[in-house]
Amino acid sequence: MELAVETINNMTVAVVPMDELDASNVAEFKSAIAPILQAHAELVLDLSRLRFVDSSGLGAILSCLRQLSAKGGDLKLCGMTKQVRAVFELVRMHRIFDIYATQQEALRALAR
Amino acid sequence: MNGETAAADSVAGILESLHRHAKYSLGRAWPELSARELYTAVALSVRDRLVERMLETDERNRKADPKRLYYLSIEFLIGRSLGNNLVNLGIRELYRQALRELDVDLERVEQEEEDAALGNGGLGRLAACFLDSLATLGMPGCGYGINYEYGLFRQEIHDGYQIEKPDSWLAQSTPWAIARTEESCIVPVHGHIEHAADRKGDYNPMWLGWRVLIGVPYDTLIAGYGGRTVNFLRLYSARSSRDFDMQIFNDGDYFKAVEQKIASENVSKVLYPADAVIAGKELRLVQEYFLVACAIRDITRRFEQNHDNFRDLPAKVAIQLNDTHPALAVAELMRFLVDEKNLGWEEAWEISQATLAYTNHTLAPEALEKWPVPLLETVLPRHFQVILEINRRFLDRIWAAYPGDAERRSRMSLIEESTPRQVRMAHLAIVGSHSVNGVSAIHTALIRASVAREFCELWPNKFNNKTNGVSPRQWLLKANPGLAELIRAAIGDGWITDLCQLRELENRVADDAWRAAFLELKLANKQALARVIQESLRIRVDPASLFDVQVKRLHAYKRQLLNVMHIIEEYLSLIEDGRQPTTPRTYIFAGKAAPGYWAAKQIIKLIHNVGRVINNDSRANQWMKVVFLPDYRVSLAERIIPAADISEQISVAGMEASGTSNMKLALNGAVTLGTQDGANIEIREEVGEDNVFLFGLSAAEVKRMRQDGSYRPRDYYDRDVRVKRVADAFLSKAFCPDEPDLFGWIFRAILDPNDEHFHLADLPAYLEAHERAAEAFRDRQRWARMAILNVARIGKFSSDRTVAEYARDIWNITPSTSGIDMQPREERQPMQFKAEQVPGSDGRVLP
Repeated sequence: MELAVETINNMTVAVVPMDELDASNVAEFKSAIAPILQAHAELVLDLSRLRFVDSSGLGAILSCLRQLSAKGGDLKLCGMTKQVRAVFELVRMHRIFDIYATQQEALRALAR
Repeated sequence: MNGETAAADSVAGILESLHRHAKYSLGRAWPELSARELYTAVALSVRDRLVERMLETDERNRKADPKRLYYLSIEFLIGRSLGNNLVNLGIRELYRQALRELDVDLERVEQEEEDAALGNGGLGRLAACFLDSLATLGMPGCGYGINYEYGLFRQEIHDGYQIEKPDSWLAQSTPWAIARTEESCIVPVHGHIEHAADRKGDYNPMWLGWRVLIGVPYDTLIAGYGGRTVNFLRLYSARSSRDFDMQIFNDGDYFKAVEQKIASENVSKVLYPADAVIAGKELRLVQEYFLVACAIRDITRRFEQNHDNFRDLPAKVAIQLNDTHPALAVAELMRFLVDEKNLGWEEAWEISQATLAYTNHTLAPEALEKWPVPLLETVLPRHFQVILEINRRFLDRIWAAYPGDAERRSRMSLIEESTPRQVRMAHLAIVGSHSVNGVSAIHTALIRASVAREFCELWPNKFNNKTNGVSPRQWLLKANPGLAELIRAAIGDGWITDLCQLRELENRVADDAWRAAFLELKLANKQALARVIQESLRIRVDPASLFDVQVKRLHAYKRQLLNVMHIIEEYLSLIEDGRQPTTPRTYIFAGKAAPGYWAAKQIIKLIHNVGRVINNDSRANQWMKVVFLPDYRVSLAERIIPAADISEQISVAGMEASGTSNMKLALNGAVTLGTQDGANIEIREEVGEDNVFLFGLSAAEVKRMRQDGSYRPRDYYDRDVRVKRVADAFLSKAFCPDEPDLFGWIFRAILDPNDEHFHLADLPAYLEAHERAAEAFRDRQRWARMAILNVARIGKFSSDRTVAEYARDIWNITPSTSGIDMQPREERQPMQFKAEQVPGSDGRVLP
């Protein structure tokens, strides 16, 4: 698995490429995102391609936030589909993440 | 009515539709269809008509946006749908004609359908009758349940013993179900709470580490009588989130991956039998949560299609909890509003309470559901937190209202401080609902006085009664077409939707010809049942004998044993004393015992053994026959109930919440012989003291004897030779020649002062009530008058009246029928119900 990483106005955006993030591929996701988390303190994670996320997928995204927070960085999420947003709400994770509709909004928030 | 519908409602249209389904749905030419395929083609053809009416109903509701009722029940005992739908759509005769042209008999087609046995008994059948009434009344109301792959077990009898066989009723392939896979939802279970802070630094518990089930809905369409409203029953099947957990599969553990998939799908695999020991059964808890989670997700999704403010939820949604099985809805709705919709606790609580209502069905302490805290915390960690918070706030309120009364606080708490601690589901339902109702007048009075006394002191207005009812379409029009036709000829057919109109039959009581016709019809129904008995059991019974019927779940409190004691007394009087019975009788039993309920299964064996002795004793078998019809189900009830003369309703007083077989039997002209329990009391009020045979201890007397320990069965045994002889028979080999002492346990149980069911106390009065009934039956004209008056005065017990009362007092919903043509459709029976009116309990019309 490879995450598409883009730099926009000196800020990093990683696009999660799969349509499901669950127990079957979460290990791959973690391996793919690890170097990005190491290289950057602030990150926008674009979830617009994701259609389904389960508990292990949520755990992996939460782990990203914790790693960046631990080094004083920040993580913004954007482009969530309705289904993925519903799972975040189900477990109250929408209350600890900054979630934006679009990349642009997330980048603007990160720039502030 | 559009042109397409008109064509479909003609014989030619039906023939075209049947051939089309044979060809395109089943891939066969008509002559090649098997019996099962023939049924499927007919069902699909009828379903087309249901779909048309459902779309019309949806469109009407979409425009009017009425408040809707959602009925949550772990059981829906539907039975067969084809006949119901044909009757309610008013197209049975058209289908009969169309099939006749194809040389096919409609009744034979109907026999091909499997009963959907998704319920144990009264509770599930009540839910099915309510759906019928909701649609008939034009109310926007739907059911939510579980699409069990295996319904209640199929009962076989081997050597008098019940054997359970799986009931695979084809949950996914029934022609009535419409799969709505796009409306599937995810249901998390297990996991843990991660205690964290949100962006503002406030406590934010996150539910992580869960496994996920997928709830796939299947809709069965429910037509009201007249076909103007078609609602739905949405049943959920559990699926795993994918075919295999690919991680486990990739790790090489194929079997574990398969096990996980099976574990997910097990959730909707099987209906738990009533009385089974389910306490502590994780699968049952998951089932209950699965139902609630799917239903709340779907109900809120529908609400959000037209509304964006959840403060409006109680104005648009009413949710009724049928017993405590769906009581987790309180925690789930609160979790949804607080966690997902970010409402404050107080506001969410007001909304949730105003939306939910709870029906209590039992007073027996052992039947009140409790779940061990460790289990609930493991399966639903977030819900457990929500329950604790509800309880904390509730107990604060109790403390404020009753300062210093720690014992009261402990008694009322949602958590029982036992080992392990348990969550009291009835308390959760009572606290979390705006309405709590019992199902008969005496039952509600006992709720107020016993199980919920302290809650009732706190919230007196929350408690109310809604006496149960049964569908006149199911239990008279369809089950007993001969009687329905006789009534129709006498008073028209307004009774079909306003059962109190049966009162007009009182004028026929004095009409000799009508009484004769009534008796003739009853005899025909008894002849038909005699044929069923002959085919099923190879026992010949006399249709002229008194058909004495007890059909219901086998349970100690329902006292099938008391019935057998009377039979034994009659038999021993005959063969030992030479006392001939007043009238020949056929004792007819049917019912299932929970697979793990040893005593109930022994009673089935007892009935068979007593039957074998009596039926083969030439001294007795001209006077008495005892039969047990196996595999009691809705379609068998439709054969037995119209043929009954006496309706045995003999539960120990204070134990039967309402009963509904008492209503079905009286509606079909059976005379109740029963205790002062459940709805029997209200039946007596309606049909008159002279037209029932009530006997035995009252609920208050039973309670007093329990409290002061004054029940001494030995006194009855010593005092009454009849009682002694019957009791001694259980110690003898009379009914178990090859297995001595098989029934000795019964002797010990009924002579035990702790006998919870007071058999010997009630036996003398029961024998005397039977004697009075037999005398009455011998006078054919007197009996005809009694039976007719039972039919004429039973109108109160229509589920239309019950549902109308729920709608008025609890749900605050009204018929959604504006703008539809209320005139009868061509070829249909006229529909008497007017859109803005619902029949009242006293026969008046409620606004």
